[in-house]
Amino acid sequence: MIRINKNILRIILMLSYVAIIALVVFGISSLYSYLNTGADRSAMLHTEIKKIDQYLPKIIWSPLNNEGRPMDAQTLNAIENDYLDAWYVKHIAYKTNKTEGVDDYYTESARKNIFNIIVHNASENISIESTTLEHHPTLDFFSEDGQLVVITDKNVIEYKRIYENENIIIETEEKSTYKIILLLEDGFWRIRHIIKKDTHNYKEDLAPALRKITTLKGINYYPQATPWDMFGDTFDAEVISKDFRLIKEAQLNSIRIFVPYEDFGKANVNTEKLKKLTQVLDLAETHELKVLVTLFDFYGDYSVLDWTLNQRHAETIVSTLKDHNALLAWDIKNEPNLDFESRGQQLVIAWLDHMIALVKSIDQKHPITIGWSDAESAPILKDKLDFISFHYYENLDDLEKTYQNLKRDIPNKPITITEFGMSSYKGFWNPFGHSEDDQAEYHEQAQSIFSKNEISFMSWTLYDFVEIPKEVVGRLPWHKRTQEYFGFINQKGETKPAYKYISKQ
Amino acid sequence: MRLKSTYLFILIMISLSFTASIKPVKINSVFQLLTTQTEFEAGSDIVLKFSANNDSKPNLYLSNSYGSIILKPIIKRSFLSYLIPKSFGNKTGMIHWKFLSDMPLSGKLNIYSKQEVLTMESYLGPPSIEAGGIDYTMLVVIPTDTYDNPLKDSTQISVKHQFLTNESHDTIYMKNGISYKNIYSETKTGRILISSECLGKNSKEYDVNVLPAIPTNFMITYNRNHEYADGNQITNFSTTIIKDRYDNIVSDGTYVDFFINNASNHVLKTSGSTINGIATAKMIHPDHQDIWEIKAFIEGMAESDSISLVYKQAVLDFQVDFSENHRTLTIGPLKSFMNQMIPDGLEVKLHVYQNDIKIKTLYKSSFEGYTSFKLNLDSFPKNTYTFKIETAGIEKTYQNIKL
Repeated sequence: MIRINKNILRIILMLSYVAIIALVVFGISSLYSYLNTGADRSAMLHTEIKKIDQYLPKIIWSPLNNEGRPMDAQTLNAIENDYLDAWYVKHIAYKTNKTEGVDDYYTESARKNIFNIIVHNASENISIESTTLEHHPTLDFFSEDGQLVVITDKNVIEYKRIYENENIIIETEEKSTYKIILLLEDGFWRIRHIIKKDTHNYKEDLAPALRKITTLKGINYYPQATPWDMFGDTFDAEVISKDFRLIKEAQLNSIRIFVPYEDFGKANVNTEKLKKLTQVLDLAETHELKVLVTLFDFYGDYSVLDWTLNQRHAETIVSTLKDHNALLAWDIKNEPNLDFESRGQQLVIAWLDHMIALVKSIDQKHPITIGWSDAESAPILKDKLDFISFHYYENLDDLEKTYQNLKRDIPNKPITITEFGMSSYKGFWNPFGHSEDDQAEYHEQAQSIFSKNEISFMSWTLYDFVEIPKEVVGRLPWHKRTQEYFGFINQKGETKPAYKYISKQ
Repeated sequence: MRLKSTYLFILIMISLSFTASIKPVKINSVFQLLTTQTEFEAGSDIVLKFSANNDSKPNLYLSNSYGSIILKPIIKRSFLSYLIPKSFGNKTGMIHWKFLSDMPLSGKLNIYSKQEVLTMESYLGPPSIEAGGIDYTMLVVIPTDTYDNPLKDSTQISVKHQFLTNESHDTIYMKNGISYKNIYSETKTGRILISSECLGKNSKEYDVNVLPAIPTNFMITYNRNHEYADGNQITNFSTTIIKDRYDNIVSDGTYVDFFINNASNHVLKTSGSTINGIATAKMIHPDHQDIWEIKAFIEGMAESDSISLVYKQAVLDFQVDFSENHRTLTIGPLKSFMNQMIPDGLEVKLHVYQNDIKIKTLYKSSFEGYTSFKLNLDSFPKNTYTFKIETAGIEKTYQNIKL
């Protein structure tokens, strides 16, 4: 007994000794490796590019025909950068009533004027959110020593929201022409004089789209394996092609897809993703399906200074796809009315209004809509949209009435339902949910209302999904589970009873 | 019949009056701009006056060249007055105003500069130009008024400049908020003094240096103590006065390279920079007879003619004495052109061959006309060697010397 105890004691002693040695070695080695970290050679010169896009209004230079020294592309680019930055710091200064950054882009005598206005506005509790959406500069003059330029910036479109004690008091849009004298000081092109030559109120004229919307029998589409991440690394054209064949065979004629804003690279649209998007439209064309492209998915900022970035994003996508045969229409944003509370209704509507104008300025052919989450929001901006679309997840018994009321309010525009459906989830998280048969019944009823009233529709959605990203409905399991079972085809790939009513009664 | 139609008419009128009375009557506030003036000189008191029919006192939004402000009205009887702050109304350009009421009232004011010069903001560059009338400097003048606004376009400015005996006056006009004048060089170098004047206000004096244009081709000369290749004396080269094509002496410090091609086609190089148009450079004499071809260049701009120099052999012959079992070689006397001992430092080479293979070369400099090589036993074990001695371009060979 004693011997066993002694042996145990020995083993414990030895193990503890080994452990102490290991700890000491680990300590010394981590100290050594800590002392060996530090300035990376490549980081010594701070050569990495830190520029991020924060302000990208549309800027179109007139052909160069200036007096004085001939201009070169590099200098012109430097002038453009500093000139736009000057606008940007001015917007920030008037928004915050602080003077940071102004010194870098305005000469000593010019910045006084801005400071005076800031003092005035600060004393009155006025703050101004503003941006410029378009610039059309012409280079008038470049001095022989390369230190002074004169620019005329024609038809600058300025959008402003002015707040007094944080309440908006005026929203205004103006089109102005400025004459600007810039000096090269300390490597910055700084504004020395800026003179507003002309100005007037501005309102875009929107022409209706050349194409009319046809009768839709459609479906919202995500591949089963990658919902809300259609253009990621697991993008598979085969799968999408197979799904499109299925949709076509189900006698549907259109799909609705989503272009996530951040995922697509914000202002600098990722060309790889854009290629995949084009590929999806190509596949749709092969299978004779029309595509309703929903822009700005997962975007929720709307702040005025973000607009120029949003517009560059939309510009790239719209101009890439506008001549595609499969393109049906543009859905500017999915359910923006859900952001009214957090971002302010007026701001969101102003954002939408300008985005409609931008998309129309690039693509005059395809109709534009906004996918409102409910029928109550549908009349918003009705005069600017080519057709109205809303989503319907309420009781089907009220649908006909809702639709007829809307039709009466908006008699001259087609009205479509671009999302409707029912989850067939019934289980631990929602014991009182609907069964698959309830879902089938729901779709049968919906189809009968659609055919009776000639309503164009797009259902939610083709598949039951296995994994819903948390960004869609949050982390709560009862939300996630419900969202997983909206499909006509279950997680195993078998058609559910509702499939019978996917396109007809 | 008539009664019936009258009755019907009355009935219709009554029903119409009902429908009309259902509509709420909204009394719109009516404002009217009383200020008719829309053009103001910078710095003047600007008041926008409106007549009003009720008590509401809407604010006024104003936007000028630099930014936007909101003004509160001053109410006097049934008038609303908006006094534009001095700092805001001082800047030239359009002021856009909007009435913050349901009445969409807006308008524009134009502020023009005060035609009175406070500063003559001048930018002159480049600061130095080339003579010859092709190159020019540019004077940009922005006359600004008391409130730092550029004066109106088409304002007249006179630019004056003086060069040597010439004085000129030119009149230019403002355009795009600035005015500019190109001032060309003349054929002489010197300094141009420039000033400008606008509405009685004179600028300070500015100056521009007119530098010589690029050099033209030139000649070179040489100067040496004697014509012998003694490896000791120095030959000086110098250029003629280098000028540009307008006869201006090139700037001091213009760099001149002299390239020397010798008889064996090797290139030696020496250089100097100009002072008062003349560049000088030096080169030590060769130690053996040689012919030099010399040509000078100002790189990419000008070159000289080529001159030729002959160096005569200074050392005509020498003696070699072997001693200490041939292990000490004494070379000398090395005599120069007047039979004087050659100045110290003439290089003597000893090539040692064994079985026709060169095994070593030893170098020494002469001292007081002699030099000697000591071949020790460690480096050169007992054997038979061939020695070749070379100095001042002369070679002497001693075959199969037994050490």
